[in-house]
Amino acid sequence: MIVDPRAILMFGANVLLFYLMLLVNSGLAAWSIYLFLLGPMLVLPVIYLRHSSYFVCTLATGLWVDAALPATFGLFTLGFLVAGAFIFQIRFRFRAEHNYHLILLAHAVNFFCILLVTLFMGLSFLANGGFWMQLAVTILTSHLVLLLVAPWFFNLQRLLFSLCRLDSEPDEFPTL
Amino acid sequence: MAKLRLDKIKPLVALGVFLLAWWIVPTATKSIFRVSFDEFQAPAWITVSFLDDLEGFWARRSHSKLELIEAGRELARAKSMYQFSAQRTETLEAEIERLESILNLPSRREFRYEVARVVRRDLNAWWQQIVIRKGRDFDIPEGAAVVFAGGVVGRVVEVNAFTSRVELVTSPNFRMAANFQGDERPVVYRGVPQTGFGQPIGSVADAPQDINTTERNPLKLVSTRLGGTFPPGLLIGRVPWLEPGSTGIFQSGEVELDPQLLSLYEVAVLIPLQPIQLEDDDR
Repeated sequence: MIVDPRAILMFGANVLLFYLMLLVNSGLAAWSIYLFLLGPMLVLPVIYLRHSSYFVCTLATGLWVDAALPATFGLFTLGFLVAGAFIFQIRFRFRAEHNYHLILLAHAVNFFCILLVTLFMGLSFLANGGFWMQLAVTILTSHLVLLLVAPWFFNLQRLLFSLCRLDSEPDEFPTL
Repeated sequence: MAKLRLDKIKPLVALGVFLLAWWIVPTATKSIFRVSFDEFQAPAWITVSFLDDLEGFWARRSHSKLELIEAGRELARAKSMYQFSAQRTETLEAEIERLESILNLPSRREFRYEVARVVRRDLNAWWQQIVIRKGRDFDIPEGAAVVFAGGVVGRVVEVNAFTSRVELVTSPNFRMAANFQGDERPVVYRGVPQTGFGQPIGSVADAPQDINTTERNPLKLVSTRLGGTFPPGLLIGRVPWLEPGSTGIFQSGEVELDPQLLSLYEVAVLIPLQPIQLEDDDR
């Protein structure tokens, strides 16, 4: 098979996470709280899949996110692929069997995405104190929630692999 | 050894090729991608909205008959009051038309109202938008004004098959022509980045020097027909203070907006009976 079936499952899980994120944000709008939880979407495809499958999964996820958010089209697609290419280079350094490294990666990618969207969408408001205040609240709440969401999300993806009788170990990892 | 090196740079090569392809691909193709992915997601949001309606329906079904009779009675009272208001509005409109014809005034822009449910709110530091459950299927035009019981909501910025995206007045990218109630001189309203604490705010600029306002009796900022998108007299917000602007010729200040803007459930889109010409509007 050209694309690893796990890539399709991961894309499905990403869509679910994104949908839940927007649903919660819609409900929290009255309290001016916004959860930005895109970080975990990139982690498992980069760590688990071969390059072609990771690329297809990340590209589809990026386009999905870009279509739903009013940011410049392609911002998240390109951002995911840039971050993904960097992590892919050093992926052997991370331990995939536990969530510890994966959660750290999710936080790093999430922060990178926030930085990216701030640079591209908020450059004209950088002098405004209100913008920084809301951005600080967004970063703080998002990363606090990510501490709970990221392990749940990674375990959900692994559960989906086992339910579909797919390999739950990363590809191309060196064996001792 | 050579294979190993090629493997190492494979992600970077793929990324470079993709970036080049993305740069070469025409905007129309990207636009097709965006619309396709967006339309694919729309049914999920519409379903949630309908499920929300269904939940409301079943919640109302659980009310007792006595509660329903009481609600019906209140509704009948409100209906008779609104019937009287409608009659009075008709009389006043006829009077306005008569006076306009006597004075040979130019005709006003007429609108029809399309009430739409809010499917999703997307409010953050970078953008302030909502998605409503009506789109091209109800002839919603891009640039149309959106209002609610408390006044101006924003402007339609994107229309899809069954949904539309509305930019709120709180958005830093939003601006419109306005005037103070009782003063015909135009001023400029702009959205500003929200702090996330307290009620939503905006800013007003180019206010004449002789306008005074106080926190106890704040002036009302209303829409003007100058932009062409909004009918005149719709409340935008209240201005508690004004201070001299950077030029010293005009004043600028803060606009307190309705807090309900952040939790809207239903809005009305004003669809002009004559098509909107976006280049004429103050976008």
